[in-house]
Amino acid sequence: MSRLFRFDPMWESHPLRDRYDVVVIGAGVHGLATAYYLARRGITDVAVLEKGYLGSGNSGRNTAILRANYRTPEAIPFYAESLALYEELSDDLDYNLLFSQQGHLTLAHTEASINGLRVRAEANRVMGVRSRIIGPAEIGRMVPALDTSSAPRYPIMAALYHAPGGIIRHDAVVWGYAHQASQLGVEVHAHTEVLDLGLQAGRIATVHTNRGTIKTGAVVNATSGWCSLIAAMAGVELPIVSHPLQACVTEPMEPLLDKVIVSANLHVYVNQTPRGEFVIGAEIDPYPSYHLGSTLPTLKSMAFHALELFPDLHQVKVLRQWGGICDMTPDYSPIIDEHPEVGGFFMDVGWGTYGFKAGPAGGKCLAELIATGRTPELIRPFRLTRFHENRLVGEKASAAVSH
Amino acid sequence: MQRLDPKPGELLDRSRRVSFRFDGKTCEAHPGDTVASALLAAGVSIFSRSFKYHRPRGLLCVSGNCPNCLMNVNGTPNVRTCMQPVQDGDEVKSQHCWPSPRWDLLSLIERLDALMPVGFYYKTLIRPRLMWRLAEPVIRRLAGLGSLKHSNGKPPHYEHQHQHTEVAVAGGGATGMAAALAAAEAGAQVVLVESESELGGRLRSQSGPVVDPDTGAAVPGFELARGWARKVLDHPGIRVLTGSLAFGAYEGRLLSIARGNRLIHLRYDQLVAATGNHEYPLLFAGNDQPGVMLGSGVRKLLNLYRVRPGTRAAVVVADDEGLELALELHDAGVELSVVVDRRSDPSASPAAGRLADLGVHHLRASHPVAAQGRRRVEALRVATGPAEGVSNRQRVATYSCDLVCLCSPWSPAIELPRQEGGKARFDDCTNQHVCASLPAHVHAAGHLEGTRDLVSLLRQGRTAGLRAAAAVRPLGGDAARRLERLDRMDRQLREEARSGKAREEIPFPRPSPGGEKAFVCLCEDVTDKDVANAVQEGFREMELLKRYTTATMGPCQGKMCQMLLAGACARETGRTLHETGRTTSRPPVAPVSLGVLAGPHHHPVKLTPLHERHEAAGAKQMAMGEWMRPFSYGKPEEEWRAVRERVGVIDVSTLGKLEVQGRDAGKLLDLVYTHHFSNLKPGRIRYGVLCGEDGIILDDGTVSRLADDHFYITTTTGNISFVEQWMDWWAVVSGFCAHVTEITANFAAVNLAGPRARTVLSRLTGLDLSNESFRYMRCRTATVAGVPARLLRIGFVGETGWEIHVPASYGAYLWDTLLEAGADQGIVPFGVEAQRILRLEKKHFIVGQDTDALSNPIESNMGWVLKMDKPDFIGRQALRKARKEGAHNRLVGFVTSRRVQEGTAVVRDRQPVGRVTSARWIPHQDRCIGLAWVPDEDSADGSPILISHEGSLLPGRVHAAPFYDPKGARLRS
Repeated sequence: MSRLFRFDPMWESHPLRDRYDVVVIGAGVHGLATAYYLARRGITDVAVLEKGYLGSGNSGRNTAILRANYRTPEAIPFYAESLALYEELSDDLDYNLLFSQQGHLTLAHTEASINGLRVRAEANRVMGVRSRIIGPAEIGRMVPALDTSSAPRYPIMAALYHAPGGIIRHDAVVWGYAHQASQLGVEVHAHTEVLDLGLQAGRIATVHTNRGTIKTGAVVNATSGWCSLIAAMAGVELPIVSHPLQACVTEPMEPLLDKVIVSANLHVYVNQTPRGEFVIGAEIDPYPSYHLGSTLPTLKSMAFHALELFPDLHQVKVLRQWGGICDMTPDYSPIIDEHPEVGGFFMDVGWGTYGFKAGPAGGKCLAELIATGRTPELIRPFRLTRFHENRLVGEKASAAVSH
Repeated sequence: MQRLDPKPGELLDRSRRVSFRFDGKTCEAHPGDTVASALLAAGVSIFSRSFKYHRPRGLLCVSGNCPNCLMNVNGTPNVRTCMQPVQDGDEVKSQHCWPSPRWDLLSLIERLDALMPVGFYYKTLIRPRLMWRLAEPVIRRLAGLGSLKHSNGKPPHYEHQHQHTEVAVAGGGATGMAAALAAAEAGAQVVLVESESELGGRLRSQSGPVVDPDTGAAVPGFELARGWARKVLDHPGIRVLTGSLAFGAYEGRLLSIARGNRLIHLRYDQLVAATGNHEYPLLFAGNDQPGVMLGSGVRKLLNLYRVRPGTRAAVVVADDEGLELALELHDAGVELSVVVDRRSDPSASPAAGRLADLGVHHLRASHPVAAQGRRRVEALRVATGPAEGVSNRQRVATYSCDLVCLCSPWSPAIELPRQEGGKARFDDCTNQHVCASLPAHVHAAGHLEGTRDLVSLLRQGRTAGLRAAAAVRPLGGDAARRLERLDRMDRQLREEARSGKAREEIPFPRPSPGGEKAFVCLCEDVTDKDVANAVQEGFREMELLKRYTTATMGPCQGKMCQMLLAGACARETGRTLHETGRTTSRPPVAPVSLGVLAGPHHHPVKLTPLHERHEAAGAKQMAMGEWMRPFSYGKPEEEWRAVRERVGVIDVSTLGKLEVQGRDAGKLLDLVYTHHFSNLKPGRIRYGVLCGEDGIILDDGTVSRLADDHFYITTTTGNISFVEQWMDWWAVVSGFCAHVTEITANFAAVNLAGPRARTVLSRLTGLDLSNESFRYMRCRTATVAGVPARLLRIGFVGETGWEIHVPASYGAYLWDTLLEAGADQGIVPFGVEAQRILRLEKKHFIVGQDTDALSNPIESNMGWVLKMDKPDFIGRQALRKARKEGAHNRLVGFVTSRRVQEGTAVVRDRQPVGRVTSARWIPHQDRCIGLAWVPDEDSADGSPILISHEGSLLPGRVHAAPFYDPKGARLRS
C-alpha cells in the first residue's frame, strides 16, 4: 500500500555503454520479457534498445486479448504456458496488470466454421486447455447484448467458449516488465534506434545505434513490424510479409459486454474495457505495407460487422482509429530461434496477430535459450529451419481473424 | 440565469415555444435553442458528473468539444447538448450520476481521492489474486458514461454517399468562405464543409461592429458573416454542406464527412484546411467548477441564445477581444467582479478605457489561482505578480462571482492536415502548434495557422483558395495576377511574422500544495498533480503520459486537454513545448457513431435461378456463403437412394463459372493449374487443381475446352472471386493474351445423375448420348429441351451424369422439363446433403472442408494432378520439394462403427495428430465413413486410428479405396 504514494521512477535512465552481454532490440512485451527473464537467470548486463518510447510498437497497438485456445499441438502448449504466466504476472511483477479473465467466445456463423471450432475444441481438450462448443441459447445467456436471433444475415450458430481467455492492460504489461527488469539491473534505452548490425567471423559483434556503437555477443531481434529490416542488417532474410492491422475504440459506455467476442466469419472482434470503451479490431489489411496510417474502408467494415453482432451499439461513437504492422510468416506461426548461421543472432519475430498473447512465454523461452544454449521444448516447433524442412505449423488454417 | 431581451443576430424564434422534459421535469425553450442553452435558461447549472470523481460539471465550451454537457436525448447516449437543437417533446436525461446531477451520491468517491493517485489501480489489489477478481467487476460497474439500456429500438436508416470535387474546403468560417469564393471565382468546382448548422464561424456570435476589410464599413459581425454566406450559397460553383463534420482525411485524397445519419465520401483534388481553432481552459485549482466557462462559449450564449450565463463575473483575458467580451457581459446586465488580465503591460485600448470608466477592477499581470465554491463557483482567487507558483512577491485576492469567463488560449484544429501528412511544430511566434511540411495538395489557412485579424484571415483564405484552384487547372489572367500578388504578400507577411516578437508565453502555474484539484483533463479527471507524479514515475513524454494518466483519451479527444498536458509535461521535464510535442492526431477528428460508419445494413443474398422451384418443392434451404441452396427436399437418404438406383437432379448454379478466351488461354491455365491444359483437345474436360506458390491447394474444378481459344471453367462456390482475380493477375503479369470473364450468374446449371440419367436426357436432346460417342469427361454444346446448353459429362456423385449449363433465364424451364421427362423413371431433385454423402462415398474432397491452409496435392492423395514435367506452374517449386521430402500427413478415408462428428481429433499418445474433415453415417451399411488427416505412417490401408469421440476414444480403420464403386465403372458407363 505504501507504494501507492511513492512516485519513484519505474525505470532508471542510463548513459549508453559501449559493451553489453546481451542487446535486445525492441522494448515491447517480448523484448522486455526476454530481458526480465534473462535477469532472473542472473544475466543482467543487458540493454534493451527502443526506437520510440516504451511499448510504442505493437505492444501498445494490439487489442490486449489473451487466450490459449489454439488449433495445433505446437501452439496450444506454448500459448497455454503464456496464459499461465500472465495469470501470475501481476503478482510476479508486483504491478496490477488489470487482467480481466472474463472468458473468450469465437463465434461461428457457418457450418464449416463450426467444424473449425470443433477441431480447436477437441485439440484443446486433449491437451488440457478449457474450451468447449456452445450453442446460441447459451451464448445468448452469456452475452445478452449479442444478437443471437435468426434475424442477421449470418446468424450465430455456435461458439467456442474459452473461459480462461480475457483482456489485460497491455501498456501496463510493458511498464511492469520494464520496471522489474530495471530493478534487476537491465538498462532500458528509449529513443535509441538501431542503424546496423556488425558481424565478425559469422557471429554478431556490434550494434550501431544513433547514440553510438555497442559491442556484444548476443543480439535479440524482438521487433514487430520491422523485424525483417533488422534481420537484413545481420544479412538474414526472413520469410515474412508485413501487413497493417487496424483497430478502433469508442467512447466509454456503461458496462454491456464482459466477454471477448471474436467472429472470424465477420472479420471482427469486440471487447469492452473495464473503463467502458468498446475496442473493435479488424483482420489484417489485404495488402502488405509498413504504413501505420488508418483507412476509411477498414473503419467502416469494423463498424458494420460490430453492429451485425451488437445492433444496439449503433449510436456509440468512435473516438480513435489506429494501425499496427503484423509480421506474417507462411504458416502464421512465429520464428523464435538462434539463427543457424549467424551466431548470437536471436530472433523472436513473426508473431503475426498473436504476438501480445505470446509475450511472457516467448521471453521466458528465449531467455532460457540464450542462457543455456539449449532450445526449450515449447519453442522447438518454431525454429527458422522448419520452412526449409517443410515442417510448417498448421495455425494458419485456424482462420485469418483469430484474436 | 435568465433569458435576455431579443437582439439582432440571435438564433431564437421568440414567436414560438417548445417544451421538453429534463429528468422528468418540464422545461420550455424557443425554437433555435440548443438543449443546453434551454437548460441554462431554465436555471440548470450542473449538467453532468465527471468520469472518476463524480464532480459536478457545468457548461464550458458551448462548442461541442468538451465532455461537460453530455446527456441522453431521446434514448441516444452521450449527446453534446450544447450542439443539439431542442425539439418539442424531447426527453432529456442526465447521465453518470445517481440520483441526479445535482445530488449525486457517487460523488462520495471523491472523499477517497487520497487513495486514488494517478495509476493507483496498477499498484493495488495485487495480492491475493482473488482480490482483483472480486474488485474488477465492481470497478467495471462504475465505469462508462452513457447507458445503452434505454437505446431506442430500431436503428434509423444510415446511408453512404460518394461525391467528387476539385477543391474541398474544410471549415465555413471567414477564412473558409473566402477560400471557397476565391477558388470558385477562379473556375474551380468547390465543396465547402462546415460542422455547424450555418456558415460564418466565430463571426456569427459577434454582435459588435467589425470592420469589413473589403468595404471599410463597420457592421455587426454576424451581419458580415451572413452577407458572405449568402454569396457562398448563391455561387453556382460551390456546394455547401453545413451540419457536416469532416472527420478524417484519408489516403487517396478522401475526406470523410458525417452529416446526420449519412457518411459522405468526398474525393477531392485539393484540400483547403480552414478548420479554425478552439479555446481551451486555463490550469488552476477548481478550474472545473460549474460556472467556469470559456469566452467563446459565453459569447455564443449571449449573442446566439440570449441566455445570461451568470450574475456576477470574473473575466480572465489575454487580449483586447477578452476586454470586449467583459463589456458585452456588462451590457447584458452581468456585474463585473474583476477583469483578470494575464498581460503584464497591455497597451491602452478603447475597451480598457470603458472598463476604467465603469470602475471595474482591471488587474494586470494576474492569473487565476483557484475557483472556489460548492457545486458552483462562488469566488475566484487571483494572484498578481510572477506566474511561477504562489510566491511571496504575489498578492492574492478573492473576488466573489458566479461566473468565471476564461478568454483562454486557442488551440488550432490541425488534425486534418496532420492526417494528410503534415508535421506539427510548436511555433513560438504564434504561440501555438502549426502544421509544417504539408503535402502540396493541402493548403492551410486562417486560425489554424495562428492568424487572428480578419484582414489576414481573408487574405490567407483567398490565397489558399486560389492556390488550390491553380493546382486544378491554369488560372486566367486576372486570377493569376491576383494569386501572384497574394502569394508575394503572404510570403512577406510570414517572413515578418517570423522575425517579429513572440507572443506572451502561456504560464502554467504549479498547483498550490494541498490545494483543490486543478484539472488537466476533464474527461478523465486527471489533475495537474497526477501529471507531475506521472512524470516523476518516468512517464516523461506525451505518448506515455497519455497512456498512463489517460489524459486526452476521453470524449474530447484532447481538444480541451492536449495543450494543458503538454504544458504540464514541459514544465515538469524542463523541456520546451516544441520538444514536448503532442500526441498523434488519429481519425476521427470528432466522435462519429458506429451507425454512420457502418451505413445501410445491406448484405446481399444470392439466389439461384431455380430458387422459386425449390421453395415450391418445400426444400429446406441452407446458407452457403452468400448463396442459399436446398439442403434437402425430404429425407436425404431417399434422395441418395434415388441417385444410386434411379436418377436425381441437383441445382449446381452456384458453381463459380469462368470463361477464359484468347490465343494464350491454354498457356494461362497451364500456369495456374497443376495439370496440362494447352494439350487438352476441344470437346474434352479435365479436372484442375489450383495451388498457391507454396503448393497449397487453393481451389479445384473442371476445365472444359469448347474451342482452341475458349475454355469454360467451374470453380468452387465460395472461391470464384478469388480465382477470377488470381487468373487475371497472372494473365497480366505473364503478358498472356487471355481474357478471364466471370459468368457465374449468367448460367443456371443442374447435375443430372444416376443409372437412368441417359434415358431421361435422351428424351430432351437429339445428341447421341451413347457412351461411345459422349464419353466420360467430354463436353458438348447442344440443344436440350430446345434451349442452348453446355453439357459436361462428369461424375462428382459417382454415377453416369451430365452437368447441363443453360442461360439463367431458361433455368427454371429446364428444371421443370427434366422433372417431367424423368417422372416415369422415378427422378427426384436432391439437395446438398445427399450430394455430400454421394461424393464422400467416392472420396471426392471439398476444398476448404477437407483441405486447409497446409494441404498440398501430394498429402491430399492427389499427386496424379501434378504435371512436374511442365516447364512451370504456380507452386511447382514448393511441390517438387514436398515430393522429395515425402508426405508428413495424409488425407485418407476411414470407417468406424459409430457416428463421429466432423472436426473431431485423431489422437495418438494423448496428442492430437490429425482431424476428421468429413463424416457421414451410412444407415444401410451400419457404419460411419469419412475423410481424415492422419500422420503418414498411419495412412496405409487398414491402419488402425483413434478418433476422439465425446471424451472417449473410438477406434477406426483407414480405408484406402473409394467406399463406392472403387474402379469408377459406374460413372464411366
